[in-house]
Amino acid sequence: MPELSYREAVRDALSRAMREDENVFIMGEDIAEMGGSMGVTQGMLDEFGAERVRNTPISEMALVGTAIGAAMQGMRPIAEVMYEDFLTLAAEQIVNQAAKHRYMSGGQLKVPLTVRTQGGAGWSPGAQHAQQLEAWFAHIPGLKVVFASTPTDVRGLLWSAIYDDNPVVFFEHRTLYGIKEDVPEQLEPIELGKARVHRQGNDVTVVAIGRLVHEAIAAAEQAEAEGISVEVVDPRTLLPLDEDTIVDSVKKTNRCVVAHEAVTRMGFGAEIAAVVQHQAFDYLDAPVERVGAKFTPLPFAPVMEEYVVPHAADVLAAVKQTMARGD
Amino acid sequence: MAKVEQRGALSEETLRDFFREMLLIRRFEEKVEERFRAGELPGFLHVAIGQEAVAVGVCRALDEGDVIASTHRAHGHTLAKGTHPNELMAELYGKLEGCSHGYGGSMHLYDVERGNMGANAVVGGGLPAVTGAALAFKLRDEPRVAVAFFGDGATNIGTVHESLNLAQLWRVPALFVCEDNGWAESTPASQQLPIEDLSKRAEAYGMRAVKADGQDVEEVYRATLEALAHAREGHGPVFLHVRTYRLTGHYVGDPQVYRPKDELPRLRETEDPITKLRDRLELADDEFEQMDREAHELVEASVEFAKAGTDPKPEDALKNLYA
Amino acid sequence: MEAGTIVRWLKSEGEQVEKGEPLYELDTDKVTQEVEADASGVLLKIAIAEGEVPVGQTVAVIGEQGEQVSAPEADTEVQEQPQEEGSRAPARDEDRERGKHASTNGSEQVTEIEEPARADGRVKASPLARRIARERGIDLTALRGTGPDGRIVAEDVERAATAPAVATVAERTGEVERVPLTSLRKTIARRMTEAWQAPAFQISMSADMTRAVELRSRLVERAKEGVKPSYNDILIKVCAAALMRHRDVNARFADDAIELLPSADIGIAVAIPNGLIVPVLRAAEVKSIEQIAAESRELVTRTREGKLRQEDLEGGSFTISNLGMFGVEHFVAVLNPPQAAILAVGALEERVVVRHGEVEARPMMTMTMSCDHRSLDGATASNFLRTVKDFLEEPALAL
Repeated sequence: MPELSYREAVRDALSRAMREDENVFIMGEDIAEMGGSMGVTQGMLDEFGAERVRNTPISEMALVGTAIGAAMQGMRPIAEVMYEDFLTLAAEQIVNQAAKHRYMSGGQLKVPLTVRTQGGAGWSPGAQHAQQLEAWFAHIPGLKVVFASTPTDVRGLLWSAIYDDNPVVFFEHRTLYGIKEDVPEQLEPIELGKARVHRQGNDVTVVAIGRLVHEAIAAAEQAEAEGISVEVVDPRTLLPLDEDTIVDSVKKTNRCVVAHEAVTRMGFGAEIAAVVQHQAFDYLDAPVERVGAKFTPLPFAPVMEEYVVPHAADVLAAVKQTMARGD
Repeated sequence: MAKVEQRGALSEETLRDFFREMLLIRRFEEKVEERFRAGELPGFLHVAIGQEAVAVGVCRALDEGDVIASTHRAHGHTLAKGTHPNELMAELYGKLEGCSHGYGGSMHLYDVERGNMGANAVVGGGLPAVTGAALAFKLRDEPRVAVAFFGDGATNIGTVHESLNLAQLWRVPALFVCEDNGWAESTPASQQLPIEDLSKRAEAYGMRAVKADGQDVEEVYRATLEALAHAREGHGPVFLHVRTYRLTGHYVGDPQVYRPKDELPRLRETEDPITKLRDRLELADDEFEQMDREAHELVEASVEFAKAGTDPKPEDALKNLYA
Repeated sequence: MEAGTIVRWLKSEGEQVEKGEPLYELDTDKVTQEVEADASGVLLKIAIAEGEVPVGQTVAVIGEQGEQVSAPEADTEVQEQPQEEGSRAPARDEDRERGKHASTNGSEQVTEIEEPARADGRVKASPLARRIARERGIDLTALRGTGPDGRIVAEDVERAATAPAVATVAERTGEVERVPLTSLRKTIARRMTEAWQAPAFQISMSADMTRAVELRSRLVERAKEGVKPSYNDILIKVCAAALMRHRDVNARFADDAIELLPSADIGIAVAIPNGLIVPVLRAAEVKSIEQIAAESRELVTRTREGKLRQEDLEGGSFTISNLGMFGVEHFVAVLNPPQAAILAVGALEERVVVRHGEVEARPMMTMTMSCDHRSLDGATASNFLRTVKDFLEEPALAL
């Protein structure tokens, strides 16, 4: 099995789609010669040419909006928004236009658009270059939202996002670009809306997304050494959410921790906690614990940044908290 | 509503055809005002009374395969692009037979089969997609053009600037029709535009600009043909600036307290595009009355059709969300 | 805008008006404005001269000269009031009601609510209920829940805390299946519980059924097409006769008195799926065995078909419960309060007995009588049972 980094896995999915299908093209800021600010699209200009690997001006509304227009005409563009903070600029087009064309037209149109973006703290990017905004878009009917955490997952899910006929906001995480793993020789598409159980356990279910999947796995290993058996579930797709896998897990373990790098309050974890509370009410031995960033913009100084953002230790503490409350 | 066969030469017959279309739009909009006041039409309504020549002049110049995207003031464009008044009225009444099947309403009129990619309630919201459609046509080597309608007020918003910029940068076959009626809702040009000649906004992006008198359907038509040729031949997008007049309020029922009292009566006298074309064609009274009767009949029939239409079931709200 | 105020009319009734001409002045919450005529014609009628008018109300009628104005017609122009940007369209209010109604009554389930499985041994109880149970040392598994989905809620626990102590359940292993009580079982449970309140004693005797067997075959021969009497029918007749000889046993306990009943109304315990019912065969002492056979069969059939009436179940004086057909040798029946006694009958089977010093095999049947010691004492009960045994061993004695 070949070994691919998360970054290479994204590139692989994009490239394979573009090789197979003329309708697929990519556009974004600095994605051509530079190969993207995260190096994701490196080499693609050489392979596919400037018509299909299009640099855009710093113009997020037109960037995403143009992709929407091309998608409405039957193409499958993938627009890259350099930092997910800049999704806020393109939000009007994503939320008011892409998400709603099909519905407002009474089903006459499809918008098979993928918007790729990335975010994540840990390297002092400052408050405007590190947000995790997946919850905003999971709130919009008409969109799909994906956040993959491993190379295999990101490759298979990006492929499915490209070929989904609906607008997909596809989140990547900056600090995950370098992680490597063995991936199948052939690209295996992963269905949207299916969670993945990374680790089986009996005492606590940790539902984690993005970078926190890895933190959760680390916390689970630590917990094991202390006699606590932790199950780690990665939803992978936030919208539509695989509620069944999550709820079945909590019914088994009777305790739930939700973890994401985004700010805890009003984060996606709140939705998961509500779903779990409602569907597994009689199975809970403790309230659902949430792990996320503290309620501040991201500070610059490293000591402060690390304080604000959650780590494996926070997940472990939450796990222990749920155990202490058990019947 | 016959398609225009000849290019360039505008026969009397063609102009009469344009006249019928403009008159239909006028009577339709008047009926809409009336039904709105009767409490039958929910939501927003913005009628295009006074701007019929722009809608007809531009849309009639288009080829099969060209697409349009409109604004909140979309009824005229929608009818001129080929949607039957029945389907438009049914949409305003929220019926399944409406062109957007009751899901959109006045500001979200779509008729994809006829090349209408949708009206937009967000000012300037539809322009980026027009740049995108034009990009798709170019990438696929199709001789099609994407057309955006927008007003003078919209030329202040980010999406318009970004769309013009990118469209010109990538030389896509797009036509940007600026319906300059001097008003952004209740704000006159003097309070929102730091320049007077809006075509300069296009020039700022290096884009070709064409001007026309928006109340003269012939001029609009010719200017559009010229612009379309430019775009179709791969020379890039064109900004078509048309001066026109809104002979009503911003919305149906708008008391227009912000408008000088004498302006409207004066404009109705001098700038009504239908009166102008009627004079240009030297239509006899009885001929006009015949055409007017026909227009009224079509419009009345559309109301009948709409009222007899099928209401969506409440649960239909859950459909059409995902493909 | 909900209403406006008409300030003054600019045209009078009977005047010709042109479409677009100002017709009246209107005061709204935003501004005073002139309202234009929607149509040309004659201002036939001004409906509201002055004052506040709600939106949508007719204020005037424009039509042709000479038209009648009494009822608005389709071709008469009706003047409506202008509204704000965007309108609720009062004519569509019904539609809105329909949508609202459908939304709360046939609602979309955003999340599927499924019945939690019972198989895992968890008791459905709210967190508050659990806490109270924990604090008061109450066992949740012994409780029945009245909350959503049969959940135990705080109230259920509170109630249990004030009720008499419930027997603790021994440690469970494996899966526990909870079968909710049907109303029948609840009744049985209640009555059996009551029965335990009576101080009871039991006495047993075995009867040699040789003569009874002979009797039965002769009765069966005679029955031909009719109902063939069973041993139980013979037993009913025998007991009825014995009860008339021992009136103290045909009795009911009534707190301050013992009621001696005039006739032997004998309850027949009938097993049905999931329960036990005791219909009463009345005045068995005056009925022949054939009559008893027919009646008991009818009672049992009606019992099994669920067609018993309330009067079938009331007022018995004595009960016979027969588990012989299940192979039970002897057993102790629970009293059927307020009756003084109940007779439990086992199987008729060949047993080895000693007669006159010789070992023989005889058909024997063991009877055990449970007695309410408040109504009966040992001597009375024993005498009665002796009589029953005698009658079975020599039926002629019952004549």
